[in-house]
Amino acid sequence: MSDAPQKSAARAKGETEPTAEGEPLVLLELIQRLKVRDVMTSKLATVPRSATMREAQELMRQKKISGVPVEESGRFFGLVSIDDIIRALVASTIDEPCSRHMTTKLVVLEDDMPLSFALRYFDRYHYGRFPVLNRDQRLVGIICQRDINRALLVELTNELNRLETSSSQTLGIDGAYSVYVLREFPICKYDFENAGKAANQIKKVLQEKKFSPKVIRRIAVAAYELEINLCVHSDGGVLSWQVSNGRAEIIARDAGPGIEDVEWACRDGTSTANEWIRSLGFGAGMGLANVKRVSDEFEITSRKGSGTTVRSVINIGLPDVT
Amino acid sequence: MTILEVAEALKAELLVKGEGSYKPIRHVVASDLMSDVLLVDEDDMILLTSLSSDQVLRTAQIVGAVGVIVVNGKPLPSSMVNVANDLRMTLATCKLSKYDACVAVYEALKLK
Repeated sequence: MSDAPQKSAARAKGETEPTAEGEPLVLLELIQRLKVRDVMTSKLATVPRSATMREAQELMRQKKISGVPVEESGRFFGLVSIDDIIRALVASTIDEPCSRHMTTKLVVLEDDMPLSFALRYFDRYHYGRFPVLNRDQRLVGIICQRDINRALLVELTNELNRLETSSSQTLGIDGAYSVYVLREFPICKYDFENAGKAANQIKKVLQEKKFSPKVIRRIAVAAYELEINLCVHSDGGVLSWQVSNGRAEIIARDAGPGIEDVEWACRDGTSTANEWIRSLGFGAGMGLANVKRVSDEFEITSRKGSGTTVRSVINIGLPDVT
Repeated sequence: MTILEVAEALKAELLVKGEGSYKPIRHVVASDLMSDVLLVDEDDMILLTSLSSDQVLRTAQIVGAVGVIVVNGKPLPSSMVNVANDLRMTLATCKLSKYDACVAVYEALKLK
């Protein structure tokens, strides 16, 4: 039998993100935006395969943890859990090497998965923790539900502070300097079922506020192109928009994979979209150029391997409230 | 000419009658590239396309189109009817090719 753990790949083919109906938008955005690596514990207490079960148990006692990974130079072999320790005590094999008694049938997560995947796997498998591997299949952390609770609490507090700051600028359309719209939409990769809904909602709000049709069209086109870009080209991200000081600002932010040559990407007709995306009527390489065309201010920052942020500003004046 | 009259000229099957179905049409755009459609800066237009997806309707809504007529007799996903209803947009499907549909619309407009 091989020493390597028999891992069940958590990223099964064809799996979709959990449905979000009824979940608060802020929370949904958080669990999409945060990656497993943002939440996991990366300072790990580990043992080598040659360590005895007693040594593993002693380490678990010292560190107050309920499971210890068996690892050598980043290569992950298995996990010793409290169950394994109890079994070893009962069978009097506590002084035998971990390699003989560790659990090797494990479900693992990858560090670049969205937190939503981790939550679903806790729900599905009822394990207390999941080892986390990177793309090179090296052990880089471990994630338990306590890690998730802590991270969400910190992020929600930050979000609340941010919302409090923005709402202090008063909601309403009392004057040109009021912020009266501020929303964020999480956009998932290849989620064509929902792609375009955010821009449609933005347009609806602007129509209700009675802005001029020309301005509404420009904002809607910028929002729609950026939304489709997030869906088609990014690993998922957030489309946010706000209206303040007579300007509409739309920001598309993602965490990857980044653009190698931004100038090239902004040219008409240049695209990295695949045939499937083209068959859906997108990926003609007009997206960013189109956003630029309708914007009064346009800004894009990106780095290959990290994320991209696109900012479009459109001067809108005041709504026609007469 | 309204989208209902255009649909009639194309012998199209009307699936959803939207809000602007009685508005006079001023422009007809025929395209399968949604980014091209987003470049159109005209009011009161209809879109002829051989693409049958929800995004066609969402794109049409963004540019303020009155409705969409899907050509080539393509089978439409049932979700398209739901989206058209949600967006209150006229949706029809016809058996003509895009080219023949354009010719038929042109002829119908000439007769008007």
